[in-house]
Amino acid sequence: MMNILEVNNIHKSFDEKHIHKGVTFYLKQGETIGLLGHSGTGKSVLLRSLIGLEHIDEGEIKFHQKRIDTLTETQLYPIRTKISYAFQSGALFDSINVFENIAYPLFEHTKLSEDEIEGRVKDILKIINMEDAYHLMPSDLSGGMQKRVGLARAMALHPEILLYDEPTAGLDPLNVEMVLEVMARFKEQGLSGIFVTHDIPAAKRICDRLLILKEGRIGFNGTVEEFENSTDPFVQTFMASEE
Amino acid sequence: MIAAKIKNDMRTLGEIMILSKDTFKCMFSRPFYLGRLFEQIIHLGVESLSITIVIGVVTGLVMTLQFGYGLEKFGGTLYVPAIVSLSLMRELAPIFTSLLIAGRIGSGISAEIGAMNVTQQVDAIRALGTNPLRVLVVPRVLAAILSLPLLTTLSAFMGILGGLSIAYLEFNMPAGFYINKVLATIKLTDVFGSMAKCAFFGLVIAILACYRGFQTREGTIGVGEAAKWVVVRTSIVILISDFFLSKILILLFD
Repeated sequence: MMNILEVNNIHKSFDEKHIHKGVTFYLKQGETIGLLGHSGTGKSVLLRSLIGLEHIDEGEIKFHQKRIDTLTETQLYPIRTKISYAFQSGALFDSINVFENIAYPLFEHTKLSEDEIEGRVKDILKIINMEDAYHLMPSDLSGGMQKRVGLARAMALHPEILLYDEPTAGLDPLNVEMVLEVMARFKEQGLSGIFVTHDIPAAKRICDRLLILKEGRIGFNGTVEEFENSTDPFVQTFMASEE
Repeated sequence: MIAAKIKNDMRTLGEIMILSKDTFKCMFSRPFYLGRLFEQIIHLGVESLSITIVIGVVTGLVMTLQFGYGLEKFGGTLYVPAIVSLSLMRELAPIFTSLLIAGRIGSGISAEIGAMNVTQQVDAIRALGTNPLRVLVVPRVLAAILSLPLLTTLSAFMGILGGLSIAYLEFNMPAGFYINKVLATIKLTDVFGSMAKCAFFGLVIAILACYRGFQTREGTIGVGEAAKWVVVRTSIVILISDFFLSKILILLFD
């Protein structure tokens, strides 16, 4: 399988703080990778950098072998319809209802009729098991439901890659299960993904490969099996501290 | 310390200029969000009607009362319609309405965008491949530019009506005389000059409010701070720029 996304030697600083000191990895078509690391290691910053929500200081990001880190904000808009981002909080627009939230990218980027958009939104709502939430406002939803609607909105345009920023953080086990089910369904549909999380069991269940950020670089890159059987003291300490 | 403050203020000014430039660029290129523009016109303009009318009427009443009794001592009551209508149209209505809108709308815009910023909704707009300037800023700026001149003209008109009622009831001035004096005093250039000034004030209010909204970082405290910042800064800018705009209008039309 070809690499859909390549990240080469990324550097990123905030004032004096050097967050990334040469991060390099790749994502293959249809693959989901888990991005792990202790708090403050820059996992979310890395995810945001991939679609230009943060600018990198050095390095390159390639999508389908074409550099996207040098694009302007306007040039990045079409890329962001292919690489979608699911925010940790859901980041739903609180002045519009669930239907309008999910339909937003469809109205913006497609020429579908209102009926077709309604049909597409209903299909997505079925995938996330929220058919009845059609007219609810974000404030009427629980945290888990907001995250699922956020995932649905990110999925609406049928992107090639979905970036998940801690989708299970702060949820009870039942809601974690529901979110993971949604992610598994997206994966079945052939979607590639990068899953930022602290939840090692969830990452092991969903991901094909796991990466661990260590001191601004990728400290581990391997399959779930390699991760579990690793004798690397860093990986073992990491597993012990996160579990 | 002072140098750092000046440097910071200059950077803020530069960022506001860039935001204004980018907003103007977005105003004249597709896609246009007409639905959002009408929504904002209703929110900024129509929902401010009642308070604008109250301000206008009360200002007209008080002005007529004060000038009426003040000038009566010198036999100058006849000049009241001219003084009240001219001061209302040229200065009081634009300033009072703009300051009121800066408080009501400016703080609202900054709090709304600020809250969207801290809850990552602005990032979500970007991540969904759309431009926050087009979605959030342009409709608000256009709505403020279009609404404020109309609100001001309404406020001045209501002030003149308020003045008429007091002139008639307190000073026994015939309504026909009052109206004739007002029509002889107020020129079209006064009305358009006042509207032009308010369009500028509307631009200032909306741009500063949007700018501060985008800068909001520190959660709910930051949202409150942003609203306060906008009311203070827009009021200062409105008051100072009013002097220079008035001078320019006098040079052009008087």
